[in-house]
Amino acid sequence: MASFLLPAMLTVCVLGGLHARVDVYQAFMRGAKEGLTTLAELLPVLASILMATALLRETGVLAALADAMAPAMRALGLPGECAGVVLLRPFSGSAALGAVKDAMDTLGADSRAARLCCVICGASETVLFTGSLYFGAAGIKKGRYAIPAALAAYLCGVLAAGALVQ
Amino acid sequence: MNGVFCIMLLLGVMAAAATGQADAAQRALLSGGGEAVALCLELAGAYAFFGGMLSVMRESGFTDALAAALRRPLMRLFHFRLGEERALSDISVNIAANMLGMGGAATPAGLSAMRTMADAGVRDGRASPAMILFLAINTSSVQLLPTTMIALRAQAGAANPADIVLPTLLSTAASTVCAVVLCRVCERISARGGGA
Repeated sequence: MASFLLPAMLTVCVLGGLHARVDVYQAFMRGAKEGLTTLAELLPVLASILMATALLRETGVLAALADAMAPAMRALGLPGECAGVVLLRPFSGSAALGAVKDAMDTLGADSRAARLCCVICGASETVLFTGSLYFGAAGIKKGRYAIPAALAAYLCGVLAAGALVQ
Repeated sequence: MNGVFCIMLLLGVMAAAATGQADAAQRALLSGGGEAVALCLELAGAYAFFGGMLSVMRESGFTDALAAALRRPLMRLFHFRLGEERALSDISVNIAANMLGMGGAATPAGLSAMRTMADAGVRDGRASPAMILFLAINTSSVQLLPTTMIALRAQAGAANPADIVLPTLLSTAASTVCAVVLCRVCERISARGGGA
């Protein structure tokens, strides 16, 4: 069922482009270039973070952290293996991405914990990074209740994900 | 992020020293980055596909149409102070681009919206309720299609990489609703308390 999603979207997109008299091929290539450039920019970040994650995994720190957080996570209905993703997501998108990849590689892409990691990561943003970027650009020094509210909303999304992914 | 990265590295090295796993640490340091290169190569096709599709949508005027449709509900959602309503079109473009997963288009519009609202009058660097709500909506993610996660799942060999779309959409909706409600509540409390 869900496999039809992308082909269907692509069809709508191509027909919409033809209807708007857009050169679909040229537009697609411009976008493909943009996508690949984004990926190239992501590479150094991913390389650094995956190296640090590998270090934490191989030395057993990640497992210890997950164990330590497991009771709290279980109380919220979440598997302990998701601790890394939940903790890293507000700080850095690529760090969370690395943790998601790690979870899928070690637990299997279709395990509940791995699917949950994907949902948590896909349904949220880098709260702290976005916050400092946006307020910094506008010269705001006192964000007042902005970051606490945003983090609470993130937690709410995580809990919803835990209830939705079974 | 600097702090997080350094703590990760130092913690790993200390754990290796404490448990005598220097070999494991060295292996991880030398091969960890290689995983990233392999990952990027495997993700390249999916990124080209999503980038291309989004670009066709943008050039067909889909983003503009979505932004126009969002204007009216957003006007009702935000309690603008005088002058801040000039940021409305940038806010609409930012949210429309975020919904479609075009971070590159969303960020410049979002920053411009923040600056416009700041120009309307900021007293000693304090964010206004509209600015806070805008930030909270942005940080709660409103993306309709989690493209990166789908690509990552396809690369990891998931039976159906897109099976996370519906739960992701519902969970992001829950966090956005929660963000709006929390901002409203905090706004009211701080207004009653004379602006704490």
